Amino acid sequence: MEVIEDILREGTRLVGEIEVYLVEGQSVSLELRRTTVSRAVESRNFVLSIRTIDQGRIGNSSTSNPAAWRQCLEASVASGRLASPQNWAGLPSEGRDGGAPLSYDPSLKPDPALLSGILNDMVEGASHYPVDVTSGGASISIDRISLANSNGLLFERCRSLVSASIETICSQSTGSEFENSWTIDFDPMAIGNRAGFLAAESRHGKEIETGNFDVILSPLAGAQLIGTVLIPSLSGRNVHAGRSRFVQSLGGEVIDPAISITDDPLLVSGLRSTRWDAEGTLTRPVPFIREGVLEAFAYDLKTGYRYGKESTGSAVRSGPGGAPAIGAHNIIIEGLQSGVMDEPAVYIQDVVGAHTANPFSGDFSVELTNPFFVEGGVYQSPVRKAMISGNVFEMLRDVAGIGNDTRIIGSLVLPSIRLKQMHIIGDER
Amino acid sequence: MGGIRYFDIRHVQGRSTTIDIDNGVVEAASESYFDHAVIRSLSGKGWGIVLVDNFQERGDTATEALISEADSISVLTGEEVFLADPVGGFTPVPAMKEDPRDVGLQEKTGLLRELEQSARIPEIVNTRANYTERIEEVRFRDSSGFEKSYEICRSGFGIMAVASRNGTLQMGYERKHTIRGLNIRHQQDLALTAANRAVALLDALPARGGSMQVVLDPELAGVFAHEAVGHASEGDLVQEGSSVLAGRIGERLGSPVVTIIDDPSLPEFGFEPFDAEGSAGCRTPIIEKGVVANYLHSRETLAAIGHGASGHARAMAGEPPLVRMSNTFIEAGDSSLEEILAECRQGILLKGSRGGQVDPGRGVFQFNAEYGYLIEGGECTRMVRDVSLSGEILKTLFSIRLCGNERLMHQGYCGKGGQSVPVSDGAPHVLLSDAVVGGSGSH
Repeated sequence: MEVIEDILREGTRLVGEIEVYLVEGQSVSLELRRTTVSRAVESRNFVLSIRTIDQGRIGNSSTSNPAAWRQCLEASVASGRLASPQNWAGLPSEGRDGGAPLSYDPSLKPDPALLSGILNDMVEGASHYPVDVTSGGASISIDRISLANSNGLLFERCRSLVSASIETICSQSTGSEFENSWTIDFDPMAIGNRAGFLAAESRHGKEIETGNFDVILSPLAGAQLIGTVLIPSLSGRNVHAGRSRFVQSLGGEVIDPAISITDDPLLVSGLRSTRWDAEGTLTRPVPFIREGVLEAFAYDLKTGYRYGKESTGSAVRSGPGGAPAIGAHNIIIEGLQSGVMDEPAVYIQDVVGAHTANPFSGDFSVELTNPFFVEGGVYQSPVRKAMISGNVFEMLRDVAGIGNDTRIIGSLVLPSIRLKQMHIIGDER
Repeated sequence: MGGIRYFDIRHVQGRSTTIDIDNGVVEAASESYFDHAVIRSLSGKGWGIVLVDNFQERGDTATEALISEADSISVLTGEEVFLADPVGGFTPVPAMKEDPRDVGLQEKTGLLRELEQSARIPEIVNTRANYTERIEEVRFRDSSGFEKSYEICRSGFGIMAVASRNGTLQMGYERKHTIRGLNIRHQQDLALTAANRAVALLDALPARGGSMQVVLDPELAGVFAHEAVGHASEGDLVQEGSSVLAGRIGERLGSPVVTIIDDPSLPEFGFEPFDAEGSAGCRTPIIEKGVVANYLHSRETLAAIGHGASGHARAMAGEPPLVRMSNTFIEAGDSSLEEILAECRQGILLKGSRGGQVDPGRGVFQFNAEYGYLIEGGECTRMVRDVSLSGEILKTLFSIRLCGNERLMHQGYCGKGGQSVPVSDGAPHVLLSDAVVGGSGSH
């Protein structure tokens, strides 16, 4: 694009290196109130981010107005003057982005008719249970991302995202389900059906006595707790800043040897797959934890140069206009699968308040959503109301089983996990 | 545009400033610029909405085209939307004591550095301070000819200290955000408070889980009001049937000591001169002396279900309005903290907030305290850590036995529908009987 060339040309007169990251996107969404579409929304978004590096001082700025790029460039240069200088060995210059696009379906169009079909199917799926649909929605978004820098790198890629969700209620029992994918490869009827099942079958829950129980965290519940606590602990920046439980743990066994954790940016089915990261480093799978042993931390260029480490291609941009920082692409949690629901346990579909977990100590106590007593591979009866308390790091040290129901939840790809003797607090009033 | 019975345009542009200092290193000190608009249209049935960036560059013809575009996609909707009349009026943006725009980025970075350095005490392994400042110029107009604009600056800081001993990590965190101007001068004591708490938490015990008497500090009691009652009173949730407060106007849900208010006109962090659809906000009692009094409303939800006032539609820049809380608080009572602790006798005092969440349809909420103290014989004794509290909306207000005589407000951000908006929550100290506390310890 012309604006990228203009910025690079002007920027190289002012600073040692410059990087331009540009996202243009469009989306369409339909929102349900009960079973009727109440809002139809189209959007077109644009954001231009500039990062400048001069003698180890890194500055950044962003704007949603391409014509205001000079103001943005000046702000980035000014920002760099205030930043602390650090070791810096240059932006990437390798410019080849080979292979088929990832996380992108070129045939997908932001067509509202597709969304109407998804919503109708979800509502029909829920109707198999005696529940009311309260809300739901479906959306398609397509973004085009351009990344260029003054070392001659120019990458461009597109990404697509299809989202569908539905919420149901039956008396005071609620259920919800959702799917996100880069293409329409899910069954909307099944989404509605699951939301209906959860609300209908959670009625008439039994009280549970406070005590220790084997529990099964669904992929959703596991993603909430592990995503809040464990994943930030693998960030090289948090490790070197002293904010990670794993500061002294490299090479040691940190979780159950039955589990491995890898970030695979090249995962074909992943939501966040990409062949280059947010600052142009070519990506590759990064095995963080192999059979329980901590083998690697995540690095971007800034943290890598600062501490003498190589970037692992882990730079992501959080939010519109955000500067690159260490993050996750597709974190795969896997291990030898077994029948996690065979023996008696409490199955936990979701939790309320996972974001309140202590990200440093790993301690949490959260309310359960749609908990069930399970045995023999089937749901036995719902639990009315309970909390679970524990420590994310400790609970993963002794895992009782891994399910075969692997699911993609944002940047996490994980199955159900069976845990031994977790502390559950019932409502004993 | 002949068939259009209503349209509005909300255009927000401005500048955001971020400073991040991590262990003495200035990681970022940057300014960015944004320009977003939301165009809504009603003709036949429901809303057609177009969201665009870089709106200021467009002329009148392009704006008309966007209104037509919003109208054309509204044919996909099936729900007929009606709007209650907007509430006229406007609460002026309060004056700032020191306008952050008059202070350079370099000086702000220096002030934040002093604050961050103040948290470095023995056993603290990491200190991190951030400053945010967001200046929004908001312009709203609708098809009735109503047109109004305002400018508001929200700024503030957070300071985190991480303590470590024998592989155990604990965190102390303090934050202050405001609409009243620059607030990062002379805040070193607050940084030290965060650091001292992180160190003290290394020796704190995990709390015992179960039902017990609980005293909430004003910050946490404010979060309690927000999670336990505020969300369930939002008119869109009531309208769609996913709130346990639906159909309960006039019903007693708590003891007469409990009055819970939402007030967007209050000059606190959730202040709005008028809401995201041009309606002036006002003090809205949600619970009045234990009785459900009102819901929070947009013009649409007020027309649909009644009971309350519009003026509670809020939106992030570039996002459609949703019914939201603003400044939510429990009214002060007449008990001193000493009286509350004496009445509690055995229980737990919970302090500070790491946030909360609610399932308003099921009527269950959870929120988390940063720390607390056991109450033994009416006195605060040992420190405890990582304590959560959960409850049921329809029962929990009956468990409020006493409200303290001094209300304090705390600032934060509230998430709903993928949007995060500034809010404040507040309360006096509150005594709850038979609250369910989550914890894995034996104390």
